[in-house]
Amino acid sequence: MVTLTIDDKQVQVEKDATIYEAAKAAGINIPILCHDKKLKPFGACRMCLVEVEQMKGRLIPACTTPVTEGMIVRSSTPPVEKARKLVLELLLLNHPLDCPVCDKGGDCDLQNLAYDHKVNVNRLNDEKFHHVIDYNNPLIERDQNRCVLCGKCVRICDEIVSRGALTFISRGIETKIGTEFDGPLSCEFCGSCISVCPVGALLARPFKFKSRFWALQKKTSVCGYCGTGCSVTLGVKDNKVLTTVYDENQGFHNGQLCVRGRFGYQFISSDKRLKSPLIRKNGQLVEAGWDEALELVANRLKGAGASAAALATPRMTNEELVLLKQLMTQQVGSANIDHSAGYAHAALTEGLAKSFGVAAAPSSILDIQKSDLLLVIKSDAYETHPVVGFEINLAVKNKGVDLQILSDKRGKLGKLPKANTLLHKPGSEVALLNAIAKVLIDENLAGAAASVTGYAELAAGLAAFAPEQVAAQCGVSADAIKQLARTYAAAEKALIVFPVGLAYPAHTAQLAHAAANLAILAGKLGKEGSGLLVLQEKNNSQGAVDVGFVPGNGGMTAQQILDGCLSGSIKTLLVAGENPVVSYPGQSKVKDALQKVDFLVVADLFLTETAQQADVVLPVCSYAEKEGTYTATDRRVQKVTPAIPAVGQSRTEFTVYGDLIRALGGQAPTTPADAFAQIPAYAGIEYAALADDGAFAPVAVKPALVLPVAAATQVEAGKIALLTGAALYHCGTMSHYGEGTVAACPEGYLELSYADAARLQIADGVEVTVASNEGSITLQARISLRMPEGVAFAPYHFAINQVWSGAVVTSVTVSK
Amino acid sequence: MPNPITPIMQGMKITLGHLFKKPITLMYPEERPKVAERFRGLHALKVSHDKAKCVACYLCPTVCPAKCITVEAGEDANHDKYAARYEIDILRCIFCGYCVEACPVDALKMTGEFELANYRREDFVFTKERLLEKK
Ligand code: SF4
Ligand code: SF4
Ligand code: SF4
Ligand code: SF4
Ligand code: SF4
Ligand code: FES
Repeated sequence: MVTLTIDDKQVQVEKDATIYEAAKAAGINIPILCHDKKLKPFGACRMCLVEVEQMKGRLIPACTTPVTEGMIVRSSTPPVEKARKLVLELLLLNHPLDCPVCDKGGDCDLQNLAYDHKVNVNRLNDEKFHHVIDYNNPLIERDQNRCVLCGKCVRICDEIVSRGALTFISRGIETKIGTEFDGPLSCEFCGSCISVCPVGALLARPFKFKSRFWALQKKTSVCGYCGTGCSVTLGVKDNKVLTTVYDENQGFHNGQLCVRGRFGYQFISSDKRLKSPLIRKNGQLVEAGWDEALELVANRLKGAGASAAALATPRMTNEELVLLKQLMTQQVGSANIDHSAGYAHAALTEGLAKSFGVAAAPSSILDIQKSDLLLVIKSDAYETHPVVGFEINLAVKNKGVDLQILSDKRGKLGKLPKANTLLHKPGSEVALLNAIAKVLIDENLAGAAASVTGYAELAAGLAAFAPEQVAAQCGVSADAIKQLARTYAAAEKALIVFPVGLAYPAHTAQLAHAAANLAILAGKLGKEGSGLLVLQEKNNSQGAVDVGFVPGNGGMTAQQILDGCLSGSIKTLLVAGENPVVSYPGQSKVKDALQKVDFLVVADLFLTETAQQADVVLPVCSYAEKEGTYTATDRRVQKVTPAIPAVGQSRTEFTVYGDLIRALGGQAPTTPADAFAQIPAYAGIEYAALADDGAFAPVAVKPALVLPVAAATQVEAGKIALLTGAALYHCGTMSHYGEGTVAACPEGYLELSYADAARLQIADGVEVTVASNEGSITLQARISLRMPEGVAFAPYHFAINQVWSGAVVTSVTVSK
Repeated sequence: MPNPITPIMQGMKITLGHLFKKPITLMYPEERPKVAERFRGLHALKVSHDKAKCVACYLCPTVCPAKCITVEAGEDANHDKYAARYEIDILRCIFCGYCVEACPVDALKMTGEFELANYRREDFVFTKERLLEKK
């Protein structure tokens, strides 16, 4: 600790603090423009100048100067004030005074500083900038005339996002923030640069001119897309969500969001939202009243028993899932309930349930930066959970964490400094992990694990997985496998991370066993910064598992439910928020099943492809309109409250299923708090006490070693191995209704290796036909360095299920 | 005690005096009042280069104490900001003139127009078209 004096106040701070941080801790405000708490000190603007007794004769920038013992700092003497005023005058010299038409007005650091320092006239005079404004992309407007060259955008895109899309170009008065070859901005559109830009040089185009900053109500909520569970602030005006507002103090991620969270909000107040319930009459869906619709549904469900089934989306709140589960199991009398196609949660409900005795991963996202080594299975972890990706970037770049990646294709994470990617053949991840486990056992790197249940069986069962034996099958050399095993075992704290979701059929219970085995064998459990983290696809995937929205005793899984629709054993199907026609494997089968089933009820925000087939469509609310809790992927339970009233006639699913329960003679919890109290997994958490940061539900691990079954995948000779996965810009199918996400990635595509493209004579951007045994689809070809030869990738959000029927690897032919 | 007649006489004196002065009463509507230059009557949106000067900065709705101005900004073909909608609900306006004072581009003024009576409520909402300055 270091003691210093700032404005006659004694301050004690860590010895690596800067003067600015010390002042802040003491409640003294030093004005800043280029400094950001998330970024490394830069010192570009000189707004933060102070006087230091020991460094007399010049003014010292507070944001870059470390404190020293006994320092005497004065933060606002006349020379300091004079210097700051000059800095502002110089900045305003070439700055267009656009405030009336600049969307930053009211939230602009330059405006605020000029006001605070009473800079109302300029002693200097010069021409204004006239850079060409960049309107080349649909999401970010870049007006370099307003730029103050603070470099925050450049630094955040490099330090946190690790994209490096922006940089300073030219020199002197010509300096500006430029892009690759000064062309249009080509990046991942996370909007981080917009969020930190102190002025109106970078602006969100979807929100352009929609409202002034001060007219927005800021409502905190939780992002409705992926399982990271980022906190967001919604900007609301006239009961419409107009934008997301950046708050650097929000959540573990300090307000960082990905493209979906920041730009994909438009679905909430979309014109395409369902306006009223729809009932099929004479083959047509026609508008109807709630009473009629609910009565119809209640009559169908009454006494339906096991002939009824429900598929729910893990985007519903925990409380809504509790109610739907109660409706199905108690009032209707059916155990046929499931979510996420029945397999996307298997890593938890079957895998970790056996390996750890609990259907949840023990580590949290906060462990990433505290770790020594990250073992990421599948480079897609960045695309599926971009803000977790930012944490990995920070861990690797700032904390020197070792990054090891096992993947079937290269990805952005692999470009991080010293990251090591082991490229394996598609579908061989379990065999590969088994081989690592085998090395751990054989080389006695797993001393303490010998007493864990199942050790002997595992050791025996792994006999067939010696690195030399699996090397060829996996396409990874035996040495590399051994090396990875040793590195993993040697790390004091090591964290395994892998994504699960509809698009990742290979990430099953077996993969979870295999990964859990490594953590158990190498003794990586129960330590901070160490263990296992499963990245779940939707914002409440963990909640759906914790609530137990999975088949009950004798109940059918999602796939069996669809089979049941085909065979006629399921007569009434309630689909709550899922869009199986687009997202479940095997589109033709799903469509047939939904066609065959006697009575299909769909509760959704939109008339989705699935809802179009329904007999009754119930319009329900988005996350911004309801109260309840979501459980993020690391079992962080977070509460949301309505930011806007329900859109149109839509109702929360809490009301809808509550009403149905009562219509069928049951008693439903009347408030979300009551429903929350019924979830055993959250017994220790008090609903009313849930604050902005949420609360972690405990995960008590009882380790057991389970021998994972490594299924062999075979690609038909002469064909290409098609992998499905998630695209960075989308999450499930809801992002199709966000204009921002659609603008960034409007349609599906097929990523191909250069080698394959050359062989098939396919040029970048042309339309190709992808055909499998299931069917065929036309996609745009993208030739990419990250694909190995013989492997192609297509994001699953765009009905890739026309060619994909759920296999880990699909053999396809690609033709022009 | 003063003479009770005195106050009556004083009153009559004032009344009589007015008989010989120029009358204050106007024979409205035949006779028009002369509106002072700085009178705050109905608003007008100033026009320059055939376009409303208003840039939809939202300062007037922000400052308006009666909250009777509605502005909706739009983006024109040159990506510039303009008022796609500009409305004043004159029934709620208190004619304080703050809106004129707040305008950073001097796009708004208050005219001498004071005959604002109307039959239907809707007619008191002055849209952008109705507010545009008539030359
Ligand atoms: S960046 Fe700030 S100071 Fe510059 S025009 Fe915009 S609001 Fe005004
Ligand atoms: S949007 Fe994100 S990726 Fe694109 S330039 Fe800005 S910070 Fe970089
Ligand atoms: S664009 Fe914004 S964030 Fe980037 S250097 Fe300019 S002012 Fe700073
Ligand atoms: S990472 Fe996930 S939760 Fe966070 S902003 Fe992106 S989509 Fe939302
Ligand atoms: S005159 Fe006053 S009350 Fe009337 S519109 Fe202007 S600011 Fe509002
Ligand atoms: S804030 Fe310190 S130099 Fe910019």
